Amino acid sequence: MRALYTASTGMAAQELNVQVISNNIANMRTTGYKKQRAAFQDLIYDHVRRVGAQASDQGTIFPVGVDIGGGVKTVGTPRLMGQGTLSPTGNELDVAVRGEGFFKIQMPDGSFTYTRDGSFQMDAQGRIVTSQGNPVQPTITIPQNSSGLAINAQGQVTVMLPGSTTPSQVGQIGLTRFINKAGLNPIGDNLFTDTPASGAPQDGIANTDGFGDMQQSNLEQANVEVVTEISDLIAAQRAYEMNAKVISAADQMLQSTSNMFR
Amino acid sequence: MENTLLIGLSRQVVLERQMDVVANNVANVNTNGFKADRSLFAEHLMPGAREDNFVGRDRALSFVHDRTSFHDFSQGASEQTKNPLDVAIDGSGFLVVQTPAGERYTRDGGLQINNQGQLVTASGNPVLGTSGPIVFQPTDHDIAIASDGNVTVVEGTNRIDSVRGKLRLVSFAQAQQLLKEGSNLYSAGEGGAAQADTTSRVRQGFIEKSNVNSVAEMSRMIEVTRTYTQISALLQQQSDLHKSAIEKLADVPA
Repeated sequence: MRALYTASTGMAAQELNVQVISNNIANMRTTGYKKQRAAFQDLIYDHVRRVGAQASDQGTIFPVGVDIGGGVKTVGTPRLMGQGTLSPTGNELDVAVRGEGFFKIQMPDGSFTYTRDGSFQMDAQGRIVTSQGNPVQPTITIPQNSSGLAINAQGQVTVMLPGSTTPSQVGQIGLTRFINKAGLNPIGDNLFTDTPASGAPQDGIANTDGFGDMQQSNLEQANVEVVTEISDLIAAQRAYEMNAKVISAADQMLQSTSNMFR
Repeated sequence: MENTLLIGLSRQVVLERQMDVVANNVANVNTNGFKADRSLFAEHLMPGAREDNFVGRDRALSFVHDRTSFHDFSQGASEQTKNPLDVAIDGSGFLVVQTPAGERYTRDGGLQINNQGQLVTASGNPVLGTSGPIVFQPTDHDIAIASDGNVTVVEGTNRIDSVRGKLRLVSFAQAQQLLKEGSNLYSAGEGGAAQADTTSRVRQGFIEKSNVNSVAEMSRMIEVTRTYTQISALLQQQSDLHKSAIEKLADVPA
């Protein structure tokens, strides 16, 4: 009986839906997290009687056909790259991007990754690094004994050197954009790598050419909306239950058939 | 003699098929832009005897067969996603999708951008505008889709909007002739050609959910199961009747 298999595709899809939603809820306080959603499509149809086929030799055609669908499939879990709200932290090395662009991070193996999480630190050599200790590109070294670190909207980092009364620029934090942000590959630790789907990375300067601007002492919150997630979770759970009911109903039908003649 | 069995069987076959349709609707209760299917059955008359020109003629037997499954094209609920690439269509229009097999039509407005900057569906097929695929430039941001389907962006540091195309919306005089192809796509089939739709409206930041009414589907499912079980019981009683008739009539007294 096809209904059994159709309903099992529905249960599998809703199980994945709950996984995606629970990951969103788990990351609702993760800086720079972008929520995902599960996208579904219907499976191939069995055209038992094709619409538009000849119904008689007088040329009349069937106005509607008999189409039996085979269930549902997951087509993807696209990431929604909308802006998260900025929350002020008071920490001078926290940077949020308002608009387009990712921070570019150099990994220990020399490759580059991209992130929206701007909660930076300083390492023993005075470099601006991520929470994992990987340097932000281009590498910026803060001189010792300096004070008054400021990051402007273009990402220019200025400090006050001892004995000086004017701030001096020590570097500029760059941004990178992709034509298809949703095609980036998440590797955990709030990091993404580029893929053939995302297109080549385009490096640039904040607040120019369509890039977003930088906000010092702010962090970008996750763009997860709890109300939406909870209502989606309820919908997914109910859909799962309904598919399970279909399986037991189909089972009941089969059972009554097998009990028919003893 | 076997009429009860055959008539009951004809009903059970269509009930199984109706169950398949219900199962597919329920499986797609969270599929964006999905339209539910309904089954329609027809009576199928069969004369009891081949020659029915007797004076007291045999009554015709009525079997059942499934005539059609039709699409319920009513509007699904819109959910606000605030995603600039989500569009819900208010009205009877469809988006046009370019697939390797030709033009296909969809109501699923969860769109994406591919690595060439084209506006695509979740399966990666380009969504067509009135003059071909809609392509974004690398420096485009703040994508806006107007209610008539006009796609505008802010390019680079410009302060003015640049037009990137206009979503092509089509409708069909006989939407029932559309053939479901899976992957949320419809093909036009033999029936009708797509006509430009000027009455449907596009709403950006919303997505059209499945129009499956889960309560109705559940009650339909119970109805199908109960009817099926009843017919099974009926057939069983008929079989018992035969059995006891054979036993009693063929009982040869010693």
